[in-house]
Amino acid sequence: MAPRVVVIGLASDFGCQVQMTNIEDHLLDVLGLIDLRYWQLASSGHLPDSYDVAIIEGAVTTDEHVALLERVRETAGVVIAIGACAFTGGIPALAALGEIDRHCAVVYGDTPPVAGVTRRTPGPVGSVIAVDYHVPGCPIDTDEFVRVLHRALQGLSDRPPQDPLCAVCKTMENVCFLERGQVCLGLVTRTGCGARCVTLGRPCTGCRGLSPEANLPAAAGVLESRGLDGAELVRLFDLYNAAREAVR
Amino acid sequence: MSTITVEHVARIEGHGTITVDVEGGVVRDIKMDIIEPARFFESMVVGRRFDEVSLITSRICGICSPNHAVTSLRAVEDALGIEVSERTKVLRKLLVYGSYLQNHATHLYVFAAPDFVGLPSVFPLAETHPEVVQRALTIKKIGNELTTLIGGRPVHPITALVGGFASEPDARSLEEFAERLTRLAGEAEETARLFATFEVPAFETAGDMLALVADDDYAIYEGETASLQGAWRRPVAEYRDFIREDVVGHSNAKHSTVAGSPFMVGALPRVNLSADRLAPRAAAVLGELGWSGVSRNPFMNNVCQAVELVDACERCAGYARQLLEMGGSSEPVPFAVRAGSGVGATEAPRGTLYHAYSIDDDGFVTAGDVITPTAQNLGNLEADMRAFAPTVVDEPRDRFVLLVEQLVRAYDPCLSCSVH
Repeated sequence: MAPRVVVIGLASDFGCQVQMTNIEDHLLDVLGLIDLRYWQLASSGHLPDSYDVAIIEGAVTTDEHVALLERVRETAGVVIAIGACAFTGGIPALAALGEIDRHCAVVYGDTPPVAGVTRRTPGPVGSVIAVDYHVPGCPIDTDEFVRVLHRALQGLSDRPPQDPLCAVCKTMENVCFLERGQVCLGLVTRTGCGARCVTLGRPCTGCRGLSPEANLPAAAGVLESRGLDGAELVRLFDLYNAAREAVR
Repeated sequence: MSTITVEHVARIEGHGTITVDVEGGVVRDIKMDIIEPARFFESMVVGRRFDEVSLITSRICGICSPNHAVTSLRAVEDALGIEVSERTKVLRKLLVYGSYLQNHATHLYVFAAPDFVGLPSVFPLAETHPEVVQRALTIKKIGNELTTLIGGRPVHPITALVGGFASEPDARSLEEFAERLTRLAGEAEETARLFATFEVPAFETAGDMLALVADDDYAIYEGETASLQGAWRRPVAEYRDFIREDVVGHSNAKHSTVAGSPFMVGALPRVNLSADRLAPRAAAVLGELGWSGVSRNPFMNNVCQAVELVDACERCAGYARQLLEMGGSSEPVPFAVRAGSGVGATEAPRGTLYHAYSIDDDGFVTAGDVITPTAQNLGNLEADMRAFAPTVVDEPRDRFVLLVEQLVRAYDPCLSCSVH
């Protein structure tokens, strides 16, 4: 029997779910392997009471998200967090850098709406429940998503790439941004993206999260040795990783 | 009194709930709660450097990310006094049109079409109408490939920088793309004909319709804001003077008004205001469908999106060929960082999108303001629901709910955009 799969979106821009619909060439193959029971973006219906695999996109920004995730964890045998929001808190976690009440006042003034949700400091899915598989990146790469889904369906271990991006980027003969006097986060960011941004002429902005092999003080030293501001490393890394203290 | 609740309306982007109170066969109240939690983008950009703004605001929406990126770049450039090259403008138009192909194909076939053939989703449609699903995937895929060709990937463009592009595609890819887009126009024409066969309720919105217009172009990248009812045109820099945003208790998204009333933005207002500037094949299809000049029926937004698909194919093929001939550079133009405020506006697939930022002497953002198409549409959508629901309240309950949901989907709302 094909595993029953649900797709759940928390606080996000739906970009990773859009990337899932961009599987196109593999879509029908993937659909043949799974029994898709719930995907609000694509189909009418409700989250069922019972399923095997939960694919979760988005950051945790409300108490309602926490309650939903706790229920998901009790129900699903396998939980897959996809995208920077779910993995590291991503862009939504930038709001963690300030007081939520202050953000609320900036956006809504004195009369915030009462639309049935209780806000909390944003964080990744892993700050609330245990996650079995991760697909990093903002947005996810569709091929990497299909690979991780296959690993999950086969019960293989979660194995996101570990090295910092520089290790791969160097082999691609890209001109190093540090040599051009620009801060690039490839020094500390988890690889696996094929250095797409650097290859296209833009420095790495750290969307795949901190590499377990990264050495932040050493990386800041490398920037300083190129005459750059070492503090920029952490300031820029906050873009997608402001909630990193909250990661279990 | 009985209350009908449709939680998490399906096949729209984001989380919203419709509540209808019916008493003795009369609709007492109807509203759409936006339960999508607020995302604080306008506050999160404060304190970030000017060149990070497009990276952040692109993440407002996974479907129209090229629009958010390009619109925020234009606002930042306005603040810094930067004029980009003609070549950069053409590349940005292609990037934006990539999101039109993606968005319209997804909305029409994945979100809207199942309603008209009585199915819960597009997946069973793959078995009953494989050729239709194939067409949808073909158009959407080319949209993805276009945003990838110009921006580096389907979602969240990499190459679009303040002042220009980090890199651009080679001539051969552009040539090949122009040919494919010309061929795709036929598929887009079939889409328009298909959606024209779907019967929609005869309903007219009371709201005004707003869109960007330009004298010599179907305005997407730049133009002035025009009103259909008021017959006025105003510079986008004055948007705060003509669009008013208010916090509404039941919605995390603000509602917008113009001259005190709700209004509509999107494909239908664009076609209403710029039908004479559509590319030839798109204009021909519109004529073939019996277009009478102006439509106030929001359900016609679907057909207008399909006509825009034809327009996008023709126009993008032209832009790709133009890039091959025009020369010039898309490298970021040199500029100095300085304090200032600026506004940018583009037509996103779902309607006019405004971004505005203030920047300090060191290039850090001190204030941000974003008005998304859906935030503008929500007030009008609710007004339409209030006017439309009583006309179909005698239908069986399932059919009644479906019709109200269809109205919501016709607006192609993006609720995650609306609560940016």
